[in-house]
Amino acid sequence: MMRKAMSDYGMVFVLLGLCLVFSLLTIKEQVPGNDTAISELMTRIKSDFKPDDVILVAGAARKDSEQFAVQMGAELKKQGFKNARVVVGIPSDLRTVLDEIKGAGAKPAALIAGPDVMKWRVIDHIQSNYPEFSGCRIITPKTWLWPDFLKASNLLAIVDRIVVIAVIAIGMTMVIIAGGIDLSVGSLIALSAVIGTLVMKKLGGLDAPAWVVPIGFMAGIAACGIVGGLGGWIVARFNVAPFITTLAIMMVGRGLAFMITGGFSIYQVPKALPWLGQGRSLEAPNTVILVLVLYAIAHVFMSHTRMGRYIYAVGGNKEAARLSGVPVFFVTVFVYIVSSLAAGLGGCIQASQINTGTPNMGTMYELYVIAAVVVGGTSLSGGSGKMLGTLIGAFIISVIQNGMNLVGIESYTQQVVLGAVILGAVLLDKVRNSGGMAMLLGRKA
Amino acid sequence: MKKALIIACCVGIVLLAFSPGCSRKTKYKGKIGVTCMDLTNPFFKLIANVMQEEAAKYGYEVVALSAELDPAKQNNQMSDFVAQGYDAIFLNPVDSKSAGEGVKKAYQAGVPVFTYDVDVSDEGAKNLVVSHIGSDNYQGGELAGESMMKVTGDRGNIAIIGYPEATSAILRVQGFKDYLKKHNSNLKIVTELSGKGNRDDGYAVATDILQAHPEIVGIFAINDPSGLGAYSALVKADKTKQITIIAFDASPAGKQAVFEKKLYDSPQQYPRKMAIGTVEAFIKYLDGEKISKVLYIPCTHYYLDDAAKDPSRVAEQW
Repeated sequence: MMRKAMSDYGMVFVLLGLCLVFSLLTIKEQVPGNDTAISELMTRIKSDFKPDDVILVAGAARKDSEQFAVQMGAELKKQGFKNARVVVGIPSDLRTVLDEIKGAGAKPAALIAGPDVMKWRVIDHIQSNYPEFSGCRIITPKTWLWPDFLKASNLLAIVDRIVVIAVIAIGMTMVIIAGGIDLSVGSLIALSAVIGTLVMKKLGGLDAPAWVVPIGFMAGIAACGIVGGLGGWIVARFNVAPFITTLAIMMVGRGLAFMITGGFSIYQVPKALPWLGQGRSLEAPNTVILVLVLYAIAHVFMSHTRMGRYIYAVGGNKEAARLSGVPVFFVTVFVYIVSSLAAGLGGCIQASQINTGTPNMGTMYELYVIAAVVVGGTSLSGGSGKMLGTLIGAFIISVIQNGMNLVGIESYTQQVVLGAVILGAVLLDKVRNSGGMAMLLGRKA
Repeated sequence: MKKALIIACCVGIVLLAFSPGCSRKTKYKGKIGVTCMDLTNPFFKLIANVMQEEAAKYGYEVVALSAELDPAKQNNQMSDFVAQGYDAIFLNPVDSKSAGEGVKKAYQAGVPVFTYDVDVSDEGAKNLVVSHIGSDNYQGGELAGESMMKVTGDRGNIAIIGYPEATSAILRVQGFKDYLKKHNSNLKIVTELSGKGNRDDGYAVATDILQAHPEIVGIFAINDPSGLGAYSALVKADKTKQITIIAFDASPAGKQAVFEKKLYDSPQQYPRKMAIGTVEAFIKYLDGEKISKVLYIPCTHYYLDDAAKDPSRVAEQW
């Protein structure tokens, strides 16, 4: 049982390994937010300074040190330092306060600042710009080490960027399991987003009520469904290679998106549009909930329904499936429609994330989606694959992209690394499934 | 499982090798994230390089990413810069409206955003940008219009090779058209097609234009690559005498082309000034000084006379 799970979802370990690597690579000093750091600092200050000394506490606006500065200031006041002063803002705010103190003829005895504020050049220049402040001590709180990769905000960023690819990969997994391929999904993202936002624009634009948004989404998704259904029908009816059929649809879709918009982006959209891609409900981002729900449904569909088994059968051996009574024609059209609908939904999510419909959205996405599916363990020759494997594959790609941006690898190099990792992951999967290192060394296991 | 770890470690080692963070100097202060439209375009590559040099003087490391003309990708890159707590973001928006979402995210996390070349026009995000610096593309377009009227004697049909996906190109064409209108020009624009800002498409679209409108006397191409592509089409059709091309940018290739009389004029942009100006704005911000919100660098004509005495042309620089 355990062994089976290992071989089905071995990619989980690749994902965990990547997370570990990126965590180690992005360890950085963090501003303390907890009370122990503040009370520690308090004892130092109480022994070194008199209660009527001017003590400045500086924090960077909307960063970790803001909370630190506010707490520290409150604590100082409580302990009787009546001339304590808190500055939270950008460098020019600190400068204004320093000028004020100088103007009043006073002199700060200490400046308490977190590591992000210490980077401000205002602080470097205190000695030269304010010679009368000599003797002012600059105190920084003790920092602690924690990887940026594992910060909650970053983990959300990882999920956020993968939602579109993950949603589309559901449809792509079905298409690939059924022995096909769908290259049109990237263009359909743009088509759906453009049609969706255009409908919203026509129905009232910026001031439109919230119900316009689902109507726009449905229009976009339906348009993609029709285009994709047409493609599926051509593949099934005339037995044209799916590669070339969907390649043609990819061009048609992209062209249509540009035609509809005239090359411009559509931004006259209702205020409710960002809800899907940026909003939260039940404490979790809507996108995360959506992905989890869709994958749960898709997993059950593929493993516990008759239609799901038909899809595996068609991909495994079309002729055998036909002879045993599987409606091959219907199954083929079905998977392409699902794939296009998923791409349409992906387009809606992306439009919602960037609050615009743009015809050049989703370029190259078909390749990322296919990579996610294949990295997730689905065989390109059809007949086998797992929905949850695809989700893991999507996460692997997202983690690599995010991690490379965090570590600071330039765009040119990123492509090389991403390509190499995809190759490595697929090779690893092959090796594991067919008897270990023997195959790597060229011997038949 | 062991193998998975081995692969992950290999990836880690590769990443470490590529990671610029390894060779930090003593004065290291922090990181600046740059995301621009397209790093395969030499204009943006140069800006990124100059920013790198300039920021290094102050102890900042620049990480330059290419959005590959995809606004969603740029949005993701902004999220990553924010998540990593970069000290600043220099943004060259792919799309001036949709870039607003990324700017808002950066603002909420306290990361200052400076835009260059193209500005952010989203209403909710415009005021959150610390400063903008860019070429005056509209005025550059007017310069191109002026040159076109001069060289054609204000007579005949002309064509425009545009790039409606890029705001800067739209502004250039707008400036060009408005100049002609304002001066009651007799020039007639017979067609306006997209050369996608590159040589190949410029060549292809110019070839088609010559088929449909063999009588034209001038072409305005919104940048040097598409203008030079159009020139190749003229050479092939043997029409270099009849048709004059005016391009834009005065890039190294464009300067040389003006010198060789392939282009009549290529209104010059100053990417170096743009890059240095952006870094300076960030440093002023850290100094706590007041910064001007918007700075436009005017374009200038670049004629044969300019090319002849321009040392940067020989050195193949902007």
